[in-house]
Amino acid sequence: MSDEETIERLKQDLGDKALELTHPSKRRIFLKVAPADLVPVAALLRDKYDMAYLATVSGVDKGTTFEAVYHFASPAVNLNLRVEVPREAPRLPSICAVIPGAILYERELQDMFGLTIEGIPDPRPLVLPDGWPAGQHPLRKDWKYERPPEVIPGGKS
Amino acid sequence: MKFEIPIGPQHPALKEPISLRMTVEGEVIRDVDIRLGYNHRGLEKLAEEKTWIQNIYLTERICGICSHSHTSCFVQGVEMLMELAPPRRGLYIRYLVSELERVHSHLLWLGVAGHEAGFDSFFMYTWRDREVVMDLLEMISGNRVHYSMNAIGGVRRDLDDGQRQKILDGVAVLRKRSEYYYHIGANEPTFVARLAGVGRLTKEQAVALCAVGPTARASGVARDVRKDDPYAVYDEIDFNLITETSCDVLGRTVVRIKELMESYKIIEFIVRNLPAGEIALRAPRRAKPNEAFSRYEAPRGENVHYIKSNGSDKPERLKVRAPTLANYPATVEMLRNGFIADIPLIFAAIDPCICCAERAVELVDARSGEERTVRMSDLRRLAAARRRDVGLKGKAEWPF
Repeated sequence: MSDEETIERLKQDLGDKALELTHPSKRRIFLKVAPADLVPVAALLRDKYDMAYLATVSGVDKGTTFEAVYHFASPAVNLNLRVEVPREAPRLPSICAVIPGAILYERELQDMFGLTIEGIPDPRPLVLPDGWPAGQHPLRKDWKYERPPEVIPGGKS
Repeated sequence: MKFEIPIGPQHPALKEPISLRMTVEGEVIRDVDIRLGYNHRGLEKLAEEKTWIQNIYLTERICGICSHSHTSCFVQGVEMLMELAPPRRGLYIRYLVSELERVHSHLLWLGVAGHEAGFDSFFMYTWRDREVVMDLLEMISGNRVHYSMNAIGGVRRDLDDGQRQKILDGVAVLRKRSEYYYHIGANEPTFVARLAGVGRLTKEQAVALCAVGPTARASGVARDVRKDDPYAVYDEIDFNLITETSCDVLGRTVVRIKELMESYKIIEFIVRNLPAGEIALRAPRRAKPNEAFSRYEAPRGENVHYIKSNGSDKPERLKVRAPTLANYPATVEMLRNGFIADIPLIFAAIDPCICCAERAVELVDARSGEERTVRMSDLRRLAAARRRDVGLKGKAEWPF
């Protein structure tokens, strides 16, 4: 299936669910859907487009919104599924029921951007340590690292 | 009675520090819990503060074994962003280094697999032969580990005729040696019996858990970015996609040995058909607002970089997904219902490591909380003892 055929089929299958559909280069398609349509669209891609392989999920901080890009791939084409959520209520549904391999990427998204993934089978932090303060999400643009003051045990206070 | 065994954060079979807590019932692993983040370096955040050029050298330091994979994936993405078409000679040299890196990584892995299976002469043979390819890489780039070959728009060093001849000579030696490994496998039934049936991962599991690289290909999933998404020069080169259907550590070994042969073919093609011309073009300092998704087949599987630019000389976002992370969910399934004695082998089968130091694994008694320290050598002894008791697996055959 060529890129153009895939795009045509996507337009037919999704109708007005596809908010944005671009084809910037060969074998790369970018598709944007609403967060509520994420799980059904992922299931559709898996079942009808041979895209059971999710390469990763990238989070992007766009100021007033967060964007999550789900990078799917079939042997023919790479499809990047984009969803955008407002910064005040950053909530996304989990796609683990459709693609079990997404679990680590969703946990990483929760850690690094503070998105809440609803229905995630295992919500523990993935990369941040146990004693990490709540509400600190390092990949948000407004997060700055401040080195804690060094305290020498037994030294002068 | 159930025990919990923590493996890691520091462990010789793992490249990165990772903690795996195994719930065991007798000798059988019932459940595995993975904890990551012991070596989280905040690299994606750091990349947002560095320029495109600086980031080449930052991504190179993600991994010591596949350093060229990360820089190639990154520069590929940046070239997509800037809409550059690097000269073909530059691309040929870049992917020549990629294939040499694959050869060194697979030879390294074969040695580790032999070592974990208790076949140490195999380990010494492969690692001696690995020096041939390490010397070639040093001759081409000046470095043995971080080659620093890539630039945006090409590569930094050219090849001359003497070097091309040396590469061909080296590959001829390596090809002969790799054929010899086939025959070692055929003449060494204990090695085959140790690997067969260990670390099962069915095709359905590999697909569902998004496994990549030789791990997926040994389970019959034909997934290789060089074929699926032939970047740069791979659509001009003839090579085969290797898959196996045995779904175990034996299959992963076979896939890697056969891939070595394919890599030699690719290296010889590139060296013989190296186009004339420039090796790099001059890249702009800034990239217009754009985004790119770069895919690259590293020795361990698909490596992925998602790059977003905002018009400045620094990236807005750089997302890196190394192949090992994609294989962790599959590792859990491989370990489940396996034996404690197979842990080193299954670990080694997903992720090679050059660290051969003896480390300790602690066994915790779940009821009394008492800890017992077991050395890796004892685990290996357990593994050897188990091998003696397996009657069925003794009949397994080397598939060549």
